[in-house]
Amino acid sequence: MTLFTIAGRYLQGRLVASVLTAVSIALGVSLVVATVLLSRGIRDGFVEGTTDYNLIVGAKGSPTQLVLNVVFRIDTPTPNISWRTYEYLKDDPRVEMAVPVAMGDAYQGFRYVATTDAYFAPFPWRRRTFALSAGRFFRDDPPEQPRYEAILGAEAARRTGLGVGDRFYEGDEMAEYPLTVVGILSPTRSADDRAIFFSLASFWEMNEVSRKMQVKPLTAVLVRPRRMSDLPSLHRGFNVSAETQAAFPSAVLLNVFNLVNLVEEVLAIVLGIVALVVLLYLFVSMYSATFERRREIATMRALGASRATILGIVLLESCFLAGIGGVAGILGGHGAAYLGALLLAARSGVVAHPFAVSCLQPVTFVAVVGLGALSGLLPALFAYRMEVSENLAPIS
Amino acid sequence: MEHARPAVTVRGVTKSFSLGAGRALEVVDVEHLALPTGSCTVLKGRSGSGKTTLLNLIAGVSLPTTGSILIDDTEIFALPEPRRDRFRAEHVGYVFQTFNLLSAFSALENVMLSMMFARTVPRSQQRTRAREILARLGLADRLAHKPAQLSRGEQQRVAIARALANDPPVVLADEPCASLDAETAREVLAEFLTVCREHRTTLLIVSHDDAVLDTADRVLDMATLNRARGRRQTAPAGEPE
Repeated sequence: MTLFTIAGRYLQGRLVASVLTAVSIALGVSLVVATVLLSRGIRDGFVEGTTDYNLIVGAKGSPTQLVLNVVFRIDTPTPNISWRTYEYLKDDPRVEMAVPVAMGDAYQGFRYVATTDAYFAPFPWRRRTFALSAGRFFRDDPPEQPRYEAILGAEAARRTGLGVGDRFYEGDEMAEYPLTVVGILSPTRSADDRAIFFSLASFWEMNEVSRKMQVKPLTAVLVRPRRMSDLPSLHRGFNVSAETQAAFPSAVLLNVFNLVNLVEEVLAIVLGIVALVVLLYLFVSMYSATFERRREIATMRALGASRATILGIVLLESCFLAGIGGVAGILGGHGAAYLGALLLAARSGVVAHPFAVSCLQPVTFVAVVGLGALSGLLPALFAYRMEVSENLAPIS
Repeated sequence: MEHARPAVTVRGVTKSFSLGAGRALEVVDVEHLALPTGSCTVLKGRSGSGKTTLLNLIAGVSLPTTGSILIDDTEIFALPEPRRDRFRAEHVGYVFQTFNLLSAFSALENVMLSMMFARTVPRSQQRTRAREILARLGLADRLAHKPAQLSRGEQQRVAIARALANDPPVVLADEPCASLDAETAREVLAEFLTVCREHRTTLLIVSHDDAVLDTADRVLDMATLNRARGRRQTAPAGEPE
């Protein structure tokens, strides 16, 4: 027999109350853990998923909407700009690379992205590389002869079940423009994993409005300047135009992070209240258990248990409950964060990975056990100070 | 029966309880009491005459207002509390009127608990020793039963086994048969006394039961023992009593 055995037996003795207390601790902890993991995952997802291009040129409007839609496939696309804008940028001596992009509809929730093969090109300055797990990249076909070849992001391929050679279309009206899968991308941990890429020629031919247009539409142009010092003038030049705007992805990301910070601050207050409620619940649970057990505590003292032993038993019980709730909460929090990340990925292109092992898990566990000990301290002191002879008789 | 030096000596012990407003109720006032080693003393007396309080004082779980108590020549109230707790675990077995078994623990664990607190029996031998004592008291097939699964007679046997587990020189028993039927009481008492006599354990039993009184080496009346002669209230200085 050890103090651990005694504390364990007492927890078993009031199993329902112990389980309920541990579950409420677990719920509180999982809420905190899931929030921290998701918030960190979203932040990392935005950083990992951001573009290698320094400027995005699109139609006049919100720069946040432009960047979120073009890079992360969140929000609705901005209005179109003309192909001429791309041609202007392509020929601009300040520009090293310009990549046209047109955002289309979606197949089973996976966004159509029309672009050129430059989108996937491995330029030396690119952080992200695109590799194929199957097939080949689509060919840049001439506007009048689209081949309707598509390559799928890794997640889009996995979820739709499409493979190389498969043909697909969304909606009966598109039946005469089926796309053929010619390649599947390896995972990139970005919104591109959930996209379906094909050529601009195919896109324009599939789109009834653009079929009738003389000048073909685009959603945006991704721009890489030759020198970073050229960025401000490029940015200014497109923003003074009545039809276009230029947005820095990094600045938009900063705005998003500021918003996330604000949400985190509000969540921290809510989580603080949740933690306080859970601590109070544990305290009440331990206090009532100790109060009901005062005759048994007096008996143990009469058998020779010291006050410190009694204090230790109650504190151990409290720490056990907190520890069990803490472990369950950490596991539950990871599960909730995983589900949240899936939901986030399904509704946006932000790919959060909430399973990174860090100091969060041990720190959370130690903190929960520490707070559990704190909650048990007052009931433990009550037991510690208990008068033995007054409590030996049956409690009526 | 020849008895050597006393195992328990009570000297000028009084115990008062505060009634508030400076008033106090004196329940115990024993000038001298000596329990010879290996003797069986029965203490009888009216309800509220201070028998249980005296037992609690000898056990060291209640502090006297004045006086001293020696167990095996050790002045127990001169010991710091942690040492007194340890001393009690090693030297005093206590059988409660209502058994006071711990509900979450099996019969075996209830007995092992007192050994854990006393630390006189090595941890590796505690289970075996607890099993032996329970078997001796006829509970070999009830080791894993929780108190709620035992009859009252069995519960009292577990309580006796717990009190004897550390082989203490002194065992205090408060109305050990009061909540048992006559036949069970006789059986339990016989087993209890047999074990105590084998180990020359000094017994102080609070009881009114004739069966218990018949087995005693000495019967004391609390009313005679107690100089307080019933409850004596003391008033604050300057107030008429």
